[in-house]
Amino acid sequence: MLALDKVTADVATAVVEASSHWREDQLACWRAACERETIPRAKWAMENFLKNAEAADLHHSALCDDTGTPHPFLEIGDEAVLPAGFLPAMEAGIRKGLNDLPARPMGVRGNELERISQCKGLYDEPGMLMPAPTQIRRIPGKKIRFTILMLGGGPEIRSRTQPIFHMHSLEHVIEEMINWAVPQVAALGCQPVTLSFGLGRTAVEASSLSLEAMKDGRYDVQSEIEKRITDEVNARGIGPIGLGGSTSVLATFIKIGNMRGSGFRVVSMRPNCCMEIRKASREWEAGV
Amino acid sequence: MNVKKINVPYKGEALDLKAGDLVELNGVIYCGRDAVLPHIVAMAKEGTLSEHEIDIKGAVIFHTAVSCAGIAPTTTSKPEIEGSIVPLSEAGAKFHLGKGRISPETVEGLKQNGAYFLITPPVAALLTAQMSECRALVHPEFGMEAFYEIKVTDFPAIVAVADGETIFSD
Repeated sequence: MLALDKVTADVATAVVEASSHWREDQLACWRAACERETIPRAKWAMENFLKNAEAADLHHSALCDDTGTPHPFLEIGDEAVLPAGFLPAMEAGIRKGLNDLPARPMGVRGNELERISQCKGLYDEPGMLMPAPTQIRRIPGKKIRFTILMLGGGPEIRSRTQPIFHMHSLEHVIEEMINWAVPQVAALGCQPVTLSFGLGRTAVEASSLSLEAMKDGRYDVQSEIEKRITDEVNARGIGPIGLGGSTSVLATFIKIGNMRGSGFRVVSMRPNCCMEIRKASREWEAGV
Repeated sequence: MNVKKINVPYKGEALDLKAGDLVELNGVIYCGRDAVLPHIVAMAKEGTLSEHEIDIKGAVIFHTAVSCAGIAPTTTSKPEIEGSIVPLSEAGAKFHLGKGRISPETVEGLKQNGAYFLITPPVAALLTAQMSECRALVHPEFGMEAFYEIKVTDFPAIVAVADGETIFSD
């Protein structure tokens, strides 16, 4: 039987890891991009990002002071059994992880109306930042896999979820996705970015698929369409923190869901900032 | 790349900085973002900043929260932040430090007041290590979004806007 205190402890370390650590595929992509960069000030920025990742990893401290909103993602085996109290244990782990990091105290006080204008101020405790609703997918087997994604605020200002009229042309949809990305990448201020896209039937589904694309995405595994979008945005020369240069986008992650018979596809795009994708996973055996 | 070291708040002769220059700031700078900067603008207009120990002449306004997670620039183009740049420049602030693009109107307002917009990579682990002192001056109840005074050493930035010129391509 899966022990709940282990769930809490593992989730807490995953939150700290996601917030302070770049994975090997991510680091390799960054190093290669820095090596390629020829504009001195762009290279200066890239080198600073790499030094920052090294420092954060060494001290288990935050990569960015916007430590982000936790987005939990659960994959539950068809033969797995979730013990009673699993979700509260997971949420306790997220709270502990935010406090251990420590994350930026961004939880907003007050009732649902007061929270909109932030008129009651903020909680002092980092762990009072509540996670986003949990995403769930099914997988074969007896395991439960937990992934935490920490999503910062800047990209949310530049995100977009809207229908694209596909005109029965894949090419048309891809061109629209590139047209969406260019101005948002240019305006973000935290380049180089990664781009995540979800394509689905509804705004809710497309947003969920975009998050799934972040969860699954690897910087060293890129489809032809992903590579094309990356290359076409990079050709605009926006560069690290907008300083010009060859790398504005490090990688693109696309998740295409089910489609419906209709003239439109709902596309959700998020330009993930230079510190993202901040994610970490844990797995537990949870058979009967 | 050549680095120009600047002691702040800057009280010297006119600076001849160009867009693209790399600088390092040494001294005391102010930090604020969405929640508090409109209040600072109001105080500047009322002439009450000195009552809160704020010396705006030659000051650096860093667009950041200050928290246990450290410091790093937030997006300057958010309306309450970008909206503070021209009025605080008119009051005497010399540098606004953030990230991302700003509007042509703000670029022109900086030029009219001989002020600069600087950007720095959002590298919290590195920037926080350059900070040695910190205290909340205005609205401490805003928590991380209060108006802070911090001391920095060799704080890196690039001049993004100077005299109407920007480093950002169209």
